[in-house]
Amino acid sequence: MEASVLTAAPHIQIAGVTIAYEKPLQGGTFVALSGIHLDIDHGTFVTIVGPSGCGKSSLLLAIAGLIRPASGSVLVNGRSVNGPGRDRAMVFQDFALLPWRTVLENVRFSLELHRWTGEDLTERAHRYVNLVGLKGFEQYRPHQLSGGMRQRVGIARALAVDPEILLLDEPFGALDAQTREVMGNELLRIWEQDKKTALFVTHSIDEAIFLGDRVVVMSHSPGEIIETISIDLPRPRTIEMMDTETYVDYRRRIRTHLMGGMHSERAVIAPHS
Amino acid sequence: MEGFYTSQPSHVLAASLEILKSQSFARDVSVSLEEFVIGMALAVLIGIPIGLLLGSFQTLRYLLDPPVMAIYATPQLALIPIYVLWLGIGMQSKVAVVFVAAVIPIIVNSIAGVRQVDHSLVLVAQSFCAKKHDIFGKVILPASLPSIMIGVRLGMSRGILGVVVAEMYVSQDGVGNQILKLGSAFRVDHLLFYVLLVSAFGFAATSGVRKLEERLQR
Repeated sequence: MEASVLTAAPHIQIAGVTIAYEKPLQGGTFVALSGIHLDIDHGTFVTIVGPSGCGKSSLLLAIAGLIRPASGSVLVNGRSVNGPGRDRAMVFQDFALLPWRTVLENVRFSLELHRWTGEDLTERAHRYVNLVGLKGFEQYRPHQLSGGMRQRVGIARALAVDPEILLLDEPFGALDAQTREVMGNELLRIWEQDKKTALFVTHSIDEAIFLGDRVVVMSHSPGEIIETISIDLPRPRTIEMMDTETYVDYRRRIRTHLMGGMHSERAVIAPHS
Repeated sequence: MEGFYTSQPSHVLAASLEILKSQSFARDVSVSLEEFVIGMALAVLIGIPIGLLLGSFQTLRYLLDPPVMAIYATPQLALIPIYVLWLGIGMQSKVAVVFVAAVIPIIVNSIAGVRQVDHSLVLVAQSFCAKKHDIFGKVILPASLPSIMIGVRLGMSRGILGVVVAEMYVSQDGVGNQILKLGSAFRVDHLLFYVLLVSAFGFAATSGVRKLEERLQR
């Protein structure tokens, strides 16, 4: 009885979250996100798409527990998020690898912080380096790798600690179009193995549809949800699906939303309180 | 060209053989080396922690930055007479000169090292639930190491200069004292040997630090 209630509850609940930053020069605050409501079920892949500066990354940071919402709350498994937790791991847009560590050592980094030790740690680090296809590159340093390979390290580092929730902040934003496509496929291949709850922020409409079970479309500042679209395409997803009518319809719909948002683009400055 | 104004390699070589055979050479070198090593070791042991601390805490930095920068710009060699008044003409005053000369660049560069740490790396560590000491030990310290080592290298060259000049002011032995004596006697060939010796030592010491840095980065 208890268990069924738990599994029925959303994995992540975002309840009326507003995120504001202080403006460093003019004073006052900049509202990045305003009153966001979003429920995310266990094992779903949710993509968030919106123009730059719509606060989608801020939402991810709030779920990661790295920033505090000005109001509203983020619940994971029904519990309020007060800071980073072992149940969540993040993949960063700029890769954020430690430049003095090798590929293997970068994957070890997250495991060390989660207090893995000895053989277990080493075995696990190797396993995740292999999983992301970097076998043979263990001893390379980040500057010797291509962008795609660097982000593979970032993904391995996040997955190695076996989080329940994977938070990806425009992980392929710094990659060229082809690499981006390859990495999207790779990510899905890895994700299908154990279907962790995943939140993926992007400004690419195609990426959002191709990867997501649901696409959350957001408007420009202050970020608000325009629409949440369920993507009714079978998995595993293939490149060919991008030419189907369903796919093209999704794309048209999202683009219309985003274009509409652009026309009413405006900055709202709330007085400093 | 006359040997009075300058010298030539063969004469310097001859002079160096003469000096190496002399009794005072070993003592001069060991005296200078000891003063330098003690002063430098103190500068590293005290300078790096102070720099890391100042780099990490803004209030502390605002408080201590002006005096540190003032000392940095002070012609420290002009203060040697004061050190002698305080510490006597023995080893201590020269250790103090080396220490003060070397510690400031070490502090300044350690501060810079901490301050230029890529914040996104700290954020990554935090996202994986890093404790404060993890962030310091696994991110901030290794990220600031190159800058700290630049400070140590700069400190070394200032320290070498410090020990030689301090010995020229007040000393009865040491390499600087020899340089002064030989200079007053216009024995350019012997003088050049000691000068070259100091340069060679400076080169060896800074290369050693660079090697150490590469080792630590691994």
